Amino acid sequence: MLLDVIQTVGGFILVEDTVQCSGRGLLRCFINAAVKRQEEDVHVLGFESPEAEMCAGLDSSCVQRLHFHKGFPDPLGWTRRSSFTIERFTSQHITQLFKDTQRAKASVLVVDSLSMVLRHRDPVVFCQTLQELRKGGVIKTIIGLLHSDLHQQGIVGIVCHLASTVISVSPADNERHSVAKTTRRTKSGKVMQEEEYFSVSEDATLSVQAKPHQPGRGQKEPDVSETDPTSNLTFNLRLSEEERRAKEKVALPFVFSQQKKSALLRPAPGSGRIVYEPDASDDFDEEDPDDDLDV
Amino acid sequence: MLTALHITGTYAPQMLCFHLQSCFFNSIRRFGETETRHILHNCSKVHLYRTNMFPELNSILNSTPDSFKSSDFILVSDRRADASFLIHHYLSFYLRAGCKVCFLGLVQSFSHYSAVGQRLGVSLAQAREKGQLVFLEGLKDSFGVLLQDTSQETQPLSYLRSPGAGLEGLFRFVERSVRQSGDGDAGESWGPPVLLIDDLSVLLSLGVSVGAILDFTLYCQATMCSELQGNMVILVRCEEEDADDDEGSNLLQRGLVHQCNLALLIEGLPTGYCRDIHGQMEVWWRPRGETIYNQRKIFHFKVHDKGASFFARGTSSAVL
Repeated sequence: MLLDVIQTVGGFILVEDTVQCSGRGLLRCFINAAVKRQEEDVHVLGFESPEAEMCAGLDSSCVQRLHFHKGFPDPLGWTRRSSFTIERFTSQHITQLFKDTQRAKASVLVVDSLSMVLRHRDPVVFCQTLQELRKGGVIKTIIGLLHSDLHQQGIVGIVCHLASTVISVSPADNERHSVAKTTRRTKSGKVMQEEEYFSVSEDATLSVQAKPHQPGRGQKEPDVSETDPTSNLTFNLRLSEEERRAKEKVALPFVFSQQKKSALLRPAPGSGRIVYEPDASDDFDEEDPDDDLDV
Repeated sequence: MLTALHITGTYAPQMLCFHLQSCFFNSIRRFGETETRHILHNCSKVHLYRTNMFPELNSILNSTPDSFKSSDFILVSDRRADASFLIHHYLSFYLRAGCKVCFLGLVQSFSHYSAVGQRLGVSLAQAREKGQLVFLEGLKDSFGVLLQDTSQETQPLSYLRSPGAGLEGLFRFVERSVRQSGDGDAGESWGPPVLLIDDLSVLLSLGVSVGAILDFTLYCQATMCSELQGNMVILVRCEEEDADDDEGSNLLQRGLVHQCNLALLIEGLPTGYCRDIHGQMEVWWRPRGETIYNQRKIFHFKVHDKGASFFARGTSSAVL
């Protein structure tokens, strides 16, 4: 599902990460995919990383459609060297930004990162801004990165609720991949969830592998062979063929096998039998064999 | 000075003797190793040896004062242990490497660091006089700020009077210190700038918010690492609270781990106090631009009088 989400147009896509695994690589994949789709203008608000890092490996021919608004060296305006500060994260300013450079129909806004904005803005105002941007009509798709371990759970929940797709990134046992848990809500209200392994290459392309069904099973390395415990001993623990056959034939003492059952049911010769020949004076009454009923 | 010197057979470029006068050291830095050898060729004999206090740490992190990664943001955090020995290590490391060091010593006095520095073979007083070291002595300067009637926003310790206003003043101090071009006594030009902070979590106790501290470190990283290709080493001390808390030192540590390139997480042993092993250190490499491959390794360490030794778990000298 992750590959589908990367190619979707429209909605608010949230990439959630933690210290364990960074989601910036996935964000770069989104930028790469959006830039390659010819009809879109991509605006990136970079508050936490420099432009060089975010745009590394992107196809140079598509870069004209990419507009990077440098917040990074100066996101708060202390040194007056940036073109876009956090204060300007309002729906009017951003819409203006898009209208200034609008050539194509659909526009994509990528924010790195929403955590930086949330640190300086009231959550309610932030959510209102996001909602206004979504409904504004100028921006079609919003993609944001959120560090979920830097905010209270409630605030993370609010932002996830606003999003149409939430992708949570976490580390996998395998060092080469990470796990992405995608939750997608369609307009009809249907919710789809999927967990996948993914990895990001240097040129910001995504490769996805489906997750194995049992979550506990790790990938076994093919070149690890199991050591034979019966080797290198001073005594012999191995069995020859004859010995193995004889071992399998042995009937275990307390197992109630079919043989034992039929042996018990069969009357064995020489076992005790009772023979009774009634005497002449014996009055053998079938209904009162002990002759003690007071009838 | 150039008496009783002897060239050893196994001479390696990194062999330097720190007991020689500093001008000799500067000669090697300025002219390079081969030229210095020419200079010494006419002397009787040269004996060069290295006094390295943290050999294992240098090999774990693959860095020496002569060759270390630049644009690095190194975070040192501790919990139930004391990681300040790493700050002393990095201070002497970068001073030996000839970098311009800006040290924000917020918790100890200058004489404390100077005394430990002497044991590790660097003289802080000399470095400060030459202009290689800019030292902000938080404890001493704070009196001046608190006793004044007015405070300006641009003062480095302005957060003492108005903690809610943020750390812009402190950032401006750092920026001024590292942007000064090399204008030492002998016209030295120092290596890439380095910022050392000991320690950042004390600002939380003074009322500065976590967000303001994270903004400050972001700005420092933008200036020191991205723009000036220098390094940053920050110590933050975490408390034993719930690891998922939303305020306080754990939140600050998580925010800093997100920003850093290399995290050294020092903790006490989970089983308690031990005489031979003082704690465990987790080295967490977080290269920027590579999302997936985060390498983490755990080592045990023991702190000595003049350094610390690091070893793999289970290989302490008390055990083997």
